[in-house]
Amino acid sequence: MSATRYEQLYTMLLDAMPSSVLLIAQNLRILSANRNFLEKSQRTLSETIGYRLEDVLPAVILEQMNIARRVQHAIETSQSVKGERMTYRAPGVPLRIYYYSLIPFAWQGQTEGVILLMDDVTEQVRLSEEVRRVERHLASIVDSASDLIVSTDRGGRILTWNAAAERLLGYVVAEMRGRGFSELCAAGDQAEIQDVFTRIEKRRTAQVAECLFKTKQALPMLVSWVFSPLLDHSGQTVGVVAVGRDLTERRKIETELIQSQKLAALGVMAGGIAHEIRNPLAICSSAAQFLLEEKCTHAFRRECADKIYQGIQRASLIIENLLKYSGPGATSLMVIVDLVALVRETLALLAHHAALQRVEIKLSGVLTHVPVQGVAVLLQQLFMNLLQNAIKAMPNGGVVTIEMRTADGEVQIRITDTGCGVTKENLGKLFDPFYTTSPVGQGTGLGLSICYSIAKLHNGSIDVVSTEGHGSTFTVKLPLSLK
Amino acid sequence: MTPSHSPCLIVDDEPEMCWALARILTGAGGSCQTAASAREAIALAARHPFRLAFLDAKLPDADGLDLARRLQAFHPGIRIVLVSGYFYQDDPLITAAIQSGQIAAFIAKPFAHAEIRRAIGAMPKSAPAAGRETPPVI
Repeated sequence: MSATRYEQLYTMLLDAMPSSVLLIAQNLRILSANRNFLEKSQRTLSETIGYRLEDVLPAVILEQMNIARRVQHAIETSQSVKGERMTYRAPGVPLRIYYYSLIPFAWQGQTEGVILLMDDVTEQVRLSEEVRRVERHLASIVDSASDLIVSTDRGGRILTWNAAAERLLGYVVAEMRGRGFSELCAAGDQAEIQDVFTRIEKRRTAQVAECLFKTKQALPMLVSWVFSPLLDHSGQTVGVVAVGRDLTERRKIETELIQSQKLAALGVMAGGIAHEIRNPLAICSSAAQFLLEEKCTHAFRRECADKIYQGIQRASLIIENLLKYSGPGATSLMVIVDLVALVRETLALLAHHAALQRVEIKLSGVLTHVPVQGVAVLLQQLFMNLLQNAIKAMPNGGVVTIEMRTADGEVQIRITDTGCGVTKENLGKLFDPFYTTSPVGQGTGLGLSICYSIAKLHNGSIDVVSTEGHGSTFTVKLPLSLK
Repeated sequence: MTPSHSPCLIVDDEPEMCWALARILTGAGGSCQTAASAREAIALAARHPFRLAFLDAKLPDADGLDLARRLQAFHPGIRIVLVSGYFYQDDPLITAAIQSGQIAAFIAKPFAHAEIRRAIGAMPKSAPAAGRETPPVI
């Protein structure tokens, strides 16, 4: 191959490169320049070859980067300079960023010149900065969220853990990375959470679960989680994103709501209770006055003492029931509750109020043992609220029928009144908090919404059918306890 | 039973309350009939010329104030004393009932026997001033 052919081949190769390539002689004059350089510097070949380096490179680069001295140094020492960054900011020209290398060219032990390679990486740098900015933005979204956001691999091993998770659970991401998500749940919930990961893998749909988490301080924290599959660009599940919400605060508000509703219900009962308690008091008082003022027979003295004793027992029973009702409920304590006994107890509490309103309450259906898993005070409140509503719906008296049935592993309690009923448009709002048709000061509008929460808490349901002017039927369904 | 010995009517759904009131009344020399409901009270009023009645405010089948109205229709001028743990002395409903003459007095439960005796003492002149030996009619 002739020298001309080689020359042409090398020129082609150099021209095909997306980098700028200059061959600089020892005297710092340009020996060759490729097409990319000529295009970028808007020069022709004849305006470049033989010219000094400082004539072809912009003054800014020359001054700022001291390129001439570096070229000189490379020639003198025969040492390459690799991958240095050069920022080029000329007035009126957007910032350019180059990577440059200097490669000395030696022939027979003698350095004859140096190759200057320059790559314009402005766009790459801009793109990578953009990527970093987007990444930072996304990271700050995840970290600013007040919900817990955790990502795991397909097996449930933790990959990332946001600031809310650090704050609420006390563990920093470094301690968590690689640990199994379910390890952090309370022992009783671990199997269920592990199941969630298996289900996501199979069905690739979001899963919901509530579980108790152990914080670093070993405190239990109830968290409601939504687990979603993390998909890659081809739609394959590569992991799981879990978004969790601390339910502690919500549960606290719910408990407070239930408590305030209880107080409101107590207010309703107060009239009835005053009457109920003053009767035994009046009997005791009378019997005591007889004993004090009369020279009575032994038999009559005994009679008076009996009346006093019974009266006191009656009054204490009323107070006892009242305390049982108004005391704070232990929401976390679910035990086996006999629904029949519970409904009967509730009826006993309401009997006087019902009698005063001339309402007859009939109990029918299964009246033997009906066991459900639940919190007795809450279930009692559920029935108390429904019965109070039924009584309230019948200002001129009437009949409330309570019917209990068991079928398909659940118990159905139907409470039917012969009262005023609910209009179609109001039926849907019935379970909304603060919805009430009572005049101001006579109803909080919380009763039925609390009934709904209590039924839900017991994995049950509550619904209503009503005909305006003919009465309503509320049906509470609760799962029967299998134990 | 003669009109001059017209007994008192006691209406309360609590048997023990009737026991106490009857004992006070008979102790004071009166006699009485007791009823546990408005229906029973009306039935008794049809047969006895009551001049005084002690009524509970809340009965299983009626309101004490309603019963007062119905008894007055039977025996105009009958003196009605409402005895109840349901209302307070200064309850607007009670004040209004006394002002309108619907009831003569209100006694709150629990009460002092003296209050009941005062209510008997304030009976119209034609009421019997019977002695202690009058047998109780309970």
